Formats: sequence, C-alpha cells, structure tokens
Amino acid sequence: MVGKNCFAIASDRRLGVQLQTIATDFQRISKIHDRVFLGLSGLATDAQTLYQRLVFRHKLYQLREERDMKPETFANLVSALLYEKRFGPYFCQPVIAGLGDEDKPFICTMDSIGAKELAKDFVVAGTASESLYGACESMFKEDMEPEELFETVSQALLSSVDRDCLSGWGGHVYVVTPTEVKERILKGRMD
Amino acid sequence: MKLDTTGMESAAPVWGSHNELVDGFSAAPSFELPNTTDFDGFQKEAIQMVKPAKGTTTLAFIFKEGVMVAADSRASMGGYISSQSVKKIIEINPYMLGTMAGGAADCQFWHRNLGIKCRLHELANKRRISVTGASKLLANILYSYRGMGLSVGTMIAGWDETGPGLYYVDNEGGRLKGMRFSVGSGSPYAYGVLDNGYRYDMSVEEAAELARRAIYHATFRDGASGGVASVYYVGPNGWKKLSGDDVGELHYRYYPVMPSTVEQEMAEVTGA
Repeated sequence: MVGKNCFAIASDRRLGVQLQTIATDFQRISKIHDRVFLGLSGLATDAQTLYQRLVFRHKLYQLREERDMKPETFANLVSALLYEKRFGPYFCQPVIAGLGDEDKPFICTMDSIGAKELAKDFVVAGTASESLYGACESMFKEDMEPEELFETVSQALLSSVDRDCLSGWGGHVYVVTPTEVKERILKGRMD
Repeated sequence: MKLDTTGMESAAPVWGSHNELVDGFSAAPSFELPNTTDFDGFQKEAIQMVKPAKGTTTLAFIFKEGVMVAADSRASMGGYISSQSVKKIIEINPYMLGTMAGGAADCQFWHRNLGIKCRLHELANKRRISVTGASKLLANILYSYRGMGLSVGTMIAGWDETGPGLYYVDNEGGRLKGMRFSVGSGSPYAYGVLDNGYRYDMSVEEAAELARRAIYHATFRDGASGGVASVYYVGPNGWKKLSGDDVGELHYRYYPVMPSTVEQEMAEVTGA
C-alpha cells in the first residue's frame, strides 16, 4: 500500500500444504535492495526458486550498471522471467513495492504468467485476495504518514486473513521510507 | 505444429530441452512445452485431484465420570470462512448430544429428526431410549440414503441406564461403538493430543482441559478448523456446557508472548 513518500508491504506467516499448517514463521517478503521489496505468494518452492533467480539477475545488473535497479525496471524483469515459463508456469503471484526516483513509491502485482497490474493505491495477492481488496478499498486514504499506514495495512491484513482458512497465523509488515525500513511482526489469531 | 519463435530472445541460456516439436532450431531459444495436448486444462485437472474432506474438528471420549464432547465452530466453503460461530454440538434431548461434521444442513436436519424419533419412543414405551437404540435409528436412516450424497460424520454421546454411551455414525451407514472418537479434517491432530493425555480415571476438570487442548491443537494445525472451542460434559443428570473459549485467546494463554531479545538495535544516524 502506498503512503506519503513511503510504502508498506505485508504478508501472513503461514506455510501450509492444503489444510495442514506446516510452519507459522514463513518469510514471504524479501528485500532485493534497500529500496525494492518483493513479496511472493503461492507455491513455496516456486517462490523460493523465483526469488533466488531474481536476486541472481539483480546482482548481475549491479555489477554491469554499478547501481541498484529501479522498481519499474525490476517489475519488468519479473514479468519477463514469469512469461518465459508460459506453458509450465511458476505457481506464484508476486507483489513488488519500491521507492523510485525522487522517493516516489511504486507498487505493482502480477499474475503467475507475468501480467503486470500497476496501481496508485494498493495491490494484493494470495488466497485471501478478494477479502483483501474489500478491506483495503474501505480503509485506504491518500497520503498517509508511515505510522497511520502501518495501522491501516495491519488492520486490513488481519481482518482479511481471519476470513480465509489458508492464511493467517500472524503477520509481517515492512514500512519503508527514504531513510529507514521498519519491520514489525503482528500478533494474530492462530487458527 | 510449428510455433513462431522469432519473437523470443531471452538472455538466459537454454539447455537440455529435448523437445521433438522444435528440433529444427538448434541454438534458438524456445518454450518448454508440457507433454499433453490440452495446454490450458491440464493444470486444472491436477488441482481437482485432491479435494479436502469434512472441514471441522469434533471429538468425544468416555471416562470414569461420563462422556466429554468437544468441537470447534468454523464453517468453511472451500477456502472461504463463512462463519466462526457455528454450533456443532447439537442437543438431541436433555441427556444426549450429537456432533456435526460434514454438511451442516444434513447434520442439523437428521439430528432433529432423531430427537423427534427418540421422543416418540419415550411416549410409546414409557421409558427413555438408550444411546444404542438412538444411534441404531440414525444409522439405519443414513444407510437407506446411501449413495445419495448426504455428508454426515457424527458422534452420538449420552447417558442411559447402562451408563455412558458413545457411538460414531456416518453417511455410509457405518456405526461404531467406542471409547474415544474424533471426526473431521482436524481429527489427526486432535487424536495426537487426546491419545497422549487420556486416562480412564480423570476428574471432570482434567477431562475438560484435555478436550479443550485437543481442539485447540487441531485448530492450530488444520486450516478448516477454528473459532471457538466448546466443551460439553454428559453425566448421570444429563449434559452441561462447560466452556466455550475463543481459540485465538487460548493460543496466547497456552503460549504467552515473551519479550524477545533484541538482535539488531537500530540507532539514529544524524545528518545522513
């Protein structure tokens, strides 16, 4: 979700196999570099592999260009990598969030074959995505400060995953401003 | 089928793709194709293969003082939670309880129907029906509807002249007598806790805590169970509801959050 010169990216913490919960501390959001974060929902093995391939490509980029990737460029890279596997796709939906030029927040999501969806306010992905759309739509306001943004994102996440059997068991929220990254863990319903 | 691959120039090298369709292109990149004729539908078929079973957790066990019955309260439609406050323990009459697992409508209707039949038996024979008799009535009804798509996995628990009684009855027409049962998608987790902590001579409080704990663990591990853990006790004077604890709160009661040691302290850097 986008705020005033900042963004927040949040995920739940469950790792499960259909109905069985395997772990309640699964990291779904990873840092590509200080100003770009990637969240991957869906099949855990594909999320891990995709993340590793993206980090590899970003490191190559850093060596060649001697700078970090802009979030818009990174989104293009993810989209291309996903479409390469058009007939045997990675079963994950990425959520990309970053701070672009002049600290302007950039967010986008994709389906599992790389169709980019840019938004100015919020993007969602996962099994509870329909609930999340509803919650974010009603709670979102323009130009929120980091603290208020954190509250909004946390409430939207927790209320949506409480209506989904396959999500929840806690929450993980990163609030990123031009000067700092705040990582917080949410206490949620563990059922 | 010749695919037009002129538009594909990927930076990643392609190796080891033995694909008879594009054997003509030696060094050109290509899409890896699956081994089916239906490119769009084969993934859907794979997902359809595994479908989840009755999404709930219920348990009941006989001990020295009577029967303990417990259940969660979540109703799920596929992945969506339709309710967190469903009554899954149905009161057939003041001394018999039935649990609900499977189709909610099926269980509610047939349990009420069973209650009617039990009352008719009482009026006709001037004495209460036994748990054996009641479970047999239900099992025979469900057997006659075999194959018609009813989904019922229930336990009939009660106290009659012979003492405590517990039967498991399901939509296939199966009927089992036993001392410990758990039904639903969360039952393996509940069995783990229940079997470990079970002793025949427990007090009512100990048995209630065991039942509550077993339901809590099932709600923690199973995605289709959750909400409120209700515990009922059936004794010589009939059934009594002992507790209905929200499982979210039970977690933090059993595993309170300890302030963790700070690993990385962030310090303010002035003039960065």
